[in-house]
Amino acid sequence: MGRIVEASRAPALEAHAYRAQRSGRFREFVERESVFSWLILTPPILFLLLFLGYPFFYGVYLSFFRREVTGPALFVGLGNFVTLAHDPIFWQSVGNTVKFTAAATVLKALGGLGMALVMNQNFKFKAITRALLLLPFIVPTVLSTVAWQWIYDPGLGLFNRLLVTSGLTRTGFSWLGNPTMAMISVIIVNTWRGLPFFGISILAGLQTIPVEQHESATIDGAGTWDRFRHVTLPSLLPVIFIVTTFSVILTFFDFQLVYVLTGGGPANSTHLMATYAYSLSMGAGQMGLGSAVALSMVPVLGLLLVLLTWYVRKED
Amino acid sequence: MAKPAQPKTGRRDFLKLTAGAAGIVGAPWITKKVEAKPSTIVFARESSYVKNFDEHFQKVLIPAYQKATGIKIDYQIQAAGGSAVPQLVSMVENKSGADLAWVQQEWLYRDALVDVSDIAEAVGKEQGGWYDEIKLLSVDNGKWKSIPQANIGQLMVYRKDWFDEAGIKQFPDTWDEFLEAGIKLKAKGHPFGMSMGHGFADNYSWLYPLLWSYGVTVMDKAGKKVALDSNETVKVVEYVKRLYKEACIEDCIGWLDPHNNKAFLTSQISCTNNAYSIMVSAKRDLPDMGKVIDHALNPKGPAGRFHSLVPVTHGVFAYGPDPQAAKDFLRWIMDPKQYRPWISSGDMYFAPYLHAFDKFPDWDIEPRVKPFQKVLETGKLTSWPAPANRAHGAVINRWIVIDMFTKACTGTPTKTAIAEAVTQLKQIYG
Repeated sequence: MGRIVEASRAPALEAHAYRAQRSGRFREFVERESVFSWLILTPPILFLLLFLGYPFFYGVYLSFFRREVTGPALFVGLGNFVTLAHDPIFWQSVGNTVKFTAAATVLKALGGLGMALVMNQNFKFKAITRALLLLPFIVPTVLSTVAWQWIYDPGLGLFNRLLVTSGLTRTGFSWLGNPTMAMISVIIVNTWRGLPFFGISILAGLQTIPVEQHESATIDGAGTWDRFRHVTLPSLLPVIFIVTTFSVILTFFDFQLVYVLTGGGPANSTHLMATYAYSLSMGAGQMGLGSAVALSMVPVLGLLLVLLTWYVRKED
Repeated sequence: MAKPAQPKTGRRDFLKLTAGAAGIVGAPWITKKVEAKPSTIVFARESSYVKNFDEHFQKVLIPAYQKATGIKIDYQIQAAGGSAVPQLVSMVENKSGADLAWVQQEWLYRDALVDVSDIAEAVGKEQGGWYDEIKLLSVDNGKWKSIPQANIGQLMVYRKDWFDEAGIKQFPDTWDEFLEAGIKLKAKGHPFGMSMGHGFADNYSWLYPLLWSYGVTVMDKAGKKVALDSNETVKVVEYVKRLYKEACIEDCIGWLDPHNNKAFLTSQISCTNNAYSIMVSAKRDLPDMGKVIDHALNPKGPAGRFHSLVPVTHGVFAYGPDPQAAKDFLRWIMDPKQYRPWISSGDMYFAPYLHAFDKFPDWDIEPRVKPFQKVLETGKLTSWPAPANRAHGAVINRWIVIDMFTKACTGTPTKTAIAEAVTQLKQIYG
């Protein structure tokens, strides 16, 4: 009887063993590094292709066409770029974007370094101070920019009130009503918003520097400045480089704060390439021309990405 | 987008039922094509500053239409302040979003709108006829592409108490008197705040009428030749430079549309050009100020007195699943039975382009609102006298004319600022 039972179970056992063998082979296949890495990479790649790749390539396609809202696309080759080459607002927005990015990035890098050095010290309420310093980065840009509108208000704004009541100036500034001041104002807001990104990243870099290096430099007679210059700064350079590159990219494409604060005015003095591309595409309905402005930003981005990749590989 | 109703009965039963129901409750203009009757129609409109107006629509009109037809209206209110146009452009590009809408800057996407000439003609016939100027916007190639709902009047809004204190008993009648008054008021710490930034209403509503009142237009009537390059333009730019420097608050050169409301309500300026939303806010939140606000027509120049129209027009998107159902709804809201109480609920903030409203009793409820009726008589579209087309849209959205003034005010020589604007206009109009 026992043999009969065993015999009847034999096919099932065989099938089980076969399944186990198959699943083992499958598992072995999946766990191969070359396969597993692609399995993990595929969802983000698909996501990027769908939400970044498609709009990007559609934008590239549009930039070679004269294409207005609801209208047909008419191939014009480099026509849109030729139009832009003769468009003074475009060149003004290019100049503004370069000035805005350069000034804001330098200020953020210096301020962020200072912030990180202070945050690396031991003092009371360090944890809560660190958390508070992250606020500008956490608050949605549109909301914080509306608050900045009030801060810049000529009569009731915080800045002018402080300047006048402290006796520093007799009357306040027109923060947004003067082309130079308007540019300075948008740079201040961008710097305020981007400082925590630099501060926290550099702080993380600071904490990886071994204490022994500082101790041995001190024994060798190095003062605070020498230790900063010859120990801290060289160790931080890789972090500063990467954070600065990312920041340049993000600042170059900034849109929200200018759109909300000045709309690119007065007299286009704060129009950035991103806001101009938006005005042309979504306001004036000139999809092709707007895409051409947006595409004109890509070479800068490309150059930065090449630099970043080169640096990261060199470090590896 | 309109959502088709799910059939619960057989097709034959459904036809019998709905045809019967339409026969009983439907007005004669409701289409008899009931097979595809949608359950919901999406109607997008920029938020109105008048709370009652939106409330009347939501609490009275929507339930009434649902009761009469079984169709629910999904009223999507878009944020005010310039973001409606990009939303509409996005909707049209993606062929989705709403079945009908307040079609701001409709010249950008007229191809996506259905012909509503039948509605416009019927409404015009029953309500005294349309004002001619609005036809330049709504009629394209002989077809009505939108139904004008109303105009949002833009006038001079001023602090009567401060004008009185400065000895100005009557609001200035000419632009020169306006400058004089501004100089006096600025000296007393109450400057004017005339918007000149990258907004879409409060800048255009005084700078364009100022140009027109000196006999200057941006383009010729055919929209082929740039007309801005004239000696009169030089005079107007010089005038604005003086007005800005001697009578205005410095910030106004960069103001977007909400900024002058904020400055007026915080007592930083004594005069601006705006809709009567400032008075609405003051009456509600600052009653003392609400009592001393008044409105006046734009001053006149050598060529007359002009105002700028801010039209509210409704259009039906052709790509929707049932444009006819949206048209039926549009016809229904323009029926005097619905339309007149709706306009009343907005306290004449929205002034109809129909002559039947010339003697509408609501114009006499608040004397300070009455001047807004005059805007319809002297109001022009910003494209005037040229057609309101895509090229005009590019001029508006690139602030070519506005920035001609701001550049001159911030140091660019007058003739250079004009020449730059003319070059850009030629480039846009080809």
